[in-house]
Amino acid sequence: MTQAFFDLVAAVVIVGALGVVMARSTVYAALFLIASLLGVAGVYVLLATEFLALVQLLIYGGAVTVLLLFALMLTHVRDLRERAPEPAQRLGALLAGGGLLAGFITMVYRTRWPRDNGTITSIDFNTIGNALFNRWAVPFEIASGVLLVALVGAVVIAMQEEGEHL
Amino acid sequence: MTSVPQEIPLEQFIVLSAILFSIGVYGVLSRRNAVLVVMSVELMLNAVSINMVAFAVYTAPTLFVGIIFAIFIITIAAAEVGLALAVILRVFRNRGTANIDEIDTLKW
Amino acid sequence: MTDAWVLPALPVAGFIVLLLFSTWLPRKGDWIAIALMAASFALVFPIARDVALSIGNGNFQGVERSREWLNIPGYIEIRMGTFVDQITLVMLFCVTLIALIVMIYSTGYMRGDKRYGWFYAIVSLFVASMLSLVLADNLLLLYFSWELVGLCSMLLIGYYYDKQTAAEASKKAFITTRVGDVGLLIGIIILFTQTHTFNIQDILRMAEAGEISRQWLTASAVLILAGACGKSAQFPLHVWLPDAMEGPTPVSALIHAATMVVAGVYLVARLLPLFEVVRGMPELITALGLTTTTIAVFCGLAQRDIKRVVAYSTLNSLGLMFVALGSGAVGAAMLYLLTHAFFKALLFLGCGSVIHATEEQEVDKLGGLWGKLPITAPMFVVGALAMAGLVPFSGYWAKDEILVGLYNGNLNSIALIVTMISLPITAIYMARLVMLTFFGTVKDAHVHGHAHESEPAMSWPLLLLGALAVVSGFVVFEGVGKALGFHSGFLGFIFNAAEGPETFSVNWGLAVGSVALVVTGLGLGTWMWWGDAEPSKRAAAFSPLLYRLFYNRFYIDEVYQFAIDKIVLATGRVVAVFDRAVVNDSGVNGAGETASFLGWLGKYQQTGKIPNYALAIVIGIVVIFAVAFGYRT
Repeated sequence: MTQAFFDLVAAVVIVGALGVVMARSTVYAALFLIASLLGVAGVYVLLATEFLALVQLLIYGGAVTVLLLFALMLTHVRDLRERAPEPAQRLGALLAGGGLLAGFITMVYRTRWPRDNGTITSIDFNTIGNALFNRWAVPFEIASGVLLVALVGAVVIAMQEEGEHL
Repeated sequence: MTSVPQEIPLEQFIVLSAILFSIGVYGVLSRRNAVLVVMSVELMLNAVSINMVAFAVYTAPTLFVGIIFAIFIITIAAAEVGLALAVILRVFRNRGTANIDEIDTLKW
Repeated sequence: MTDAWVLPALPVAGFIVLLLFSTWLPRKGDWIAIALMAASFALVFPIARDVALSIGNGNFQGVERSREWLNIPGYIEIRMGTFVDQITLVMLFCVTLIALIVMIYSTGYMRGDKRYGWFYAIVSLFVASMLSLVLADNLLLLYFSWELVGLCSMLLIGYYYDKQTAAEASKKAFITTRVGDVGLLIGIIILFTQTHTFNIQDILRMAEAGEISRQWLTASAVLILAGACGKSAQFPLHVWLPDAMEGPTPVSALIHAATMVVAGVYLVARLLPLFEVVRGMPELITALGLTTTTIAVFCGLAQRDIKRVVAYSTLNSLGLMFVALGSGAVGAAMLYLLTHAFFKALLFLGCGSVIHATEEQEVDKLGGLWGKLPITAPMFVVGALAMAGLVPFSGYWAKDEILVGLYNGNLNSIALIVTMISLPITAIYMARLVMLTFFGTVKDAHVHGHAHESEPAMSWPLLLLGALAVVSGFVVFEGVGKALGFHSGFLGFIFNAAEGPETFSVNWGLAVGSVALVVTGLGLGTWMWWGDAEPSKRAAAFSPLLYRLFYNRFYIDEVYQFAIDKIVLATGRVVAVFDRAVVNDSGVNGAGETASFLGWLGKYQQTGKIPNYALAIVIGIVVIFAVAFGYRT
């Protein structure tokens, strides 16, 4: 039962990812991305970390994707279609991605993984909350600072200058 | 913190993460539109997150550093997407295109 | 015995303070320099008392105080320290006293100058270097100080560096003395390789014992003599001294008359045992001194610049000191050095007073100043008479001892004859200088009109030096020496242990002869330049060729210039071509152009497209994977 759920989720993630990198239409690619990210949320559920799954849905499925769609819209992507990459570049990309995958898989098969008793630890919201605001409080605050700076920076960079027009 | 039965071995998550990462790399290398490149980068980030969470719950449950890491990755990804959008917009305004293979002033 | 290192340390402190803070100090800090100089001068007396007591106890060999400076066990040990004996003491006394007088004089002469503080700073540094030069117990420290005094000399000659001639004169002085200094350095290195020590007394002991091979000893002696010639302006390196008069006049008095230029004399006197071991060396020293003297007296006859005449008289005196050293009469040379310091400083400061009063230094425009300068003029005449060597002025006693030394020595009698001939000529040009400056007709009414006697800060040093120029010669008498606390007169004081006590003796023939020559010279000079100086004009017209030869200093400068242009610069041009063609074009530019060409080839590899670069990165990672797995199977 769980294995079947994993297979389904994995299929969603991989198909979505393939759609992102191969769809001709940019908007389709964005929709595929949403699917893939939702699949990742499913993976988090399988790993018994519901908090992460929720965050994933909220931030990735919501905010990030919307931002990306805004970007597509603002850059006037004509007819929403992208030209295919140069054959040489696509071949190189295939080789590189395939090579990397082969390397990872080889590594996974070469490694002796710990055999456990078939259980994992479920980490509930309280635990994560306590950890975030006690032990990891300083990195958490720094991260929020980074976010603030990044957003202000983004506004400054994107601001329309004199003589510019969209 | 409670123990939950789990019948899927760790390797499956790792392999899934590897596949997702490699697809992301392929996307970064082959897409022309800068926005799509950013999407592919998001795929790679998610692959890394899966990896970390899987290791955290399987091997170091009391520390769950990996989960904290995943939270920070999501945070930074949000910031990164915002900045990337701004940069792409600025490039688009200056050069009239968001296709990164047309931006080649780095060459001689 | 007082630690002698304090003597140079005081002016060094003055130098540092003035260099850093003179701008903010009242009076630019000249009082600091003068106070430290006075303290340094005062400290000579305890040292002198100790030396006098030690000599009284017999067998005095000098006092050495040194500490380890560099020690590589089993390989080399170098000690630095001070050495005080009679020669050192004479130098210490003369340097500190003249420096003090000159510094006081300069408060008047240099007043209002825009680099007043800098002047005092450099003079302090000079005095410190000069003191450490004479105190050095080893050749290394001596060489350091030697270069430092040269540097100070250059800086002070070029004090008015915004004046073209001054800048060039300082360059000339530095380069010319450097020719000799290189010789000195090589000579010191040769001595070190032969003896493995820099200590002067050890080296002299080994040289006298014949422990240094003859060729190396000869080579080092010649090279060190070259250094002494450069510093003391002996032929053929004498050309810089007349030009050095571009510096402020107090500097000329201190450095280019009384102290630095006698460093060469001091060096030869200090190393005389070494020179005497080498065959032919005393004769060489004497010959150089005679040549310099001869050139100087004739050039002195025809110069028109008041300071240049005195500069040539300095060359004349330095030549005489070398002659004395060549004949082995160290006592006579040191006595001449001491008295010369006083009367030559007097002459220069007198010149300075005249220049200060009239703002003119061409003798053709001076004249009739006797009444106008009631202190400067008589003091200048005293200095001139001492320089000419009229009895009983100090110059007479010293010069007479040189003549006695030549007469008793084993040198060829030609040396004595040439020296005797130079005496009346010296007298003539000193008489000429006095007549043209202070007597004779007024040539420039304007210059004459606004002339005025200098302020007390300048006239008191003149009076003091005038007194010293009269009486300092009397130290030859045994009674005077004893009255000053020493066991004998000056000559016995200098020649203590080495050759037994020597007492002052008068050779009546030489004495009467030299006085007669000097009086004749003075009378002839006075007659020739009396009033309108008609006889001198007739003399110049009689032989214009000779006059031009004297006026142009025997064309030695021109010969050097010709040699530099034709030989040095021609070689330089050849080397320059090599530098341009081989070093610059092939070596430097070639390397650059090769890199540029390779870059031109390589730049077409760059597409400028980010995906290409990213692809390269990922392929690199894959390759690393492959390599890592390949190793770990």
